[in-house]
Amino acid sequence: MDDPEASPFQHCFAAMFETHFARLYRYLDRLSGEPELASDIAQEAFVRLFRRGSMPDTPEAWLISVALNLFRNAKSSRSRRSRLLTATRSEGVLADPPLAPDQAAMVEDSRGRVRTALDRLSQRDRGLLLLRAEGYSYRDIAVALELNEASVGTLLARARRAFRDCYEDPDAP
Amino acid sequence: MHLDEEQLQRLLHGELTAAGSHELRSHLAECSECRERYIRAERDETEIFALLRQVDHPLPAVDAAGLMARTRKIGLVSGRWAAGILLFLGAAGAAYAVPGSPVGEWARSAAAWMTSEHRVTPAPRQAEVPPARTAGIAATPGKSYVIAFQSLDAAGQARVSLIDGPEVTVRAPGGAARYTSAADRLLIDNQSGSVFDIEIPRSVPRVEILVVDKRVFLKEGERVVTRHTADPAGHYTIDLSPPTN
Repeated sequence: MDDPEASPFQHCFAAMFETHFARLYRYLDRLSGEPELASDIAQEAFVRLFRRGSMPDTPEAWLISVALNLFRNAKSSRSRRSRLLTATRSEGVLADPPLAPDQAAMVEDSRGRVRTALDRLSQRDRGLLLLRAEGYSYRDIAVALELNEASVGTLLARARRAFRDCYEDPDAP
Repeated sequence: MHLDEEQLQRLLHGELTAAGSHELRSHLAECSECRERYIRAERDETEIFALLRQVDHPLPAVDAAGLMARTRKIGLVSGRWAAGILLFLGAAGAAYAVPGSPVGEWARSAAAWMTSEHRVTPAPRQAEVPPARTAGIAATPGKSYVIAFQSLDAAGQARVSLIDGPEVTVRAPGGAARYTSAADRLLIDNQSGSVFDIEIPRSVPRVEILVVDKRVFLKEGERVVTRHTADPAGHYTIDLSPPTN
């Protein structure tokens, strides 16, 4: 942060943003499958941190907890409240250069299976897996998901096994 | 004695003290079974994390300075509005107290206008069929709902009807808008010249329509406050031009 008049908190906030925004966004993007929602929620979590005016004891866990609450609210209010009458304006999709058709089909198939597997996991397993994939510490994961920190490793191993089962056999009950 | 699952995972994830890590690594050097388990767990995690990256989308272009500036601006604008309202109320109170001031009469007229002339009488429900090729959104509101047109450079019109159904619906021809539905509000990214049909349930206690943060329509109970008058069928046609000030 270059602003010489910025307060110590603002410097701290900027450093926090640089380090954690991307991984909070990626976590929410994978959790929801909706990049716009993930971006909105990640930004809102940081806005709330900025408005708070001081750093919480465990800022990473605090951000995840706020983001998770926002995500739950958004999902529940949306499923309760709205449905599209018809398709609205289409959106451009950012993507890598197009693949060969057979390659594209394989990637698409795998991507669909990952999405399905994530959606089929329990809330706890999904949270554990996605937070660890972004390198969050056991302590942050335990605080954010309200788990016993002493058993996070064991639960993570189970979450990976559950994901693997869902990914390899998407049709299993 | 082999490593338990928690020890293995903590070693894999660097969640041990230096001494603890050293101790477990010494065990791995001697125990082929635990070493195999460790290698398998590491490989499994690497593969799964690679799979997870397949569903990633590009990172949005946001930076801390921009976010702080936007947050401060919102706070500043709110503060100015609050200060402005306090100043206005103070000045209005002083003017009201001056003997012979016309302000009291103005206030009584305004109150009468707000409470009587625009009271809604239930219009007969017409059997409306949505026009073909319209796109839109329906939402079941709670006690209070906001419909906000957000585009700064989009003119257009909205035809507002009060209905007996349970859902707020907003339709526009040809998908001329993009909708974001959040708790208690619907944000509309509208295009210039678009005409919207909005249906508001009479049963919802409070519904506001905003054009770039300026309220142009309020339904509160049976009362409707807007500068637009209803046509004989009870529809209000609202100009969506953004406020100029």
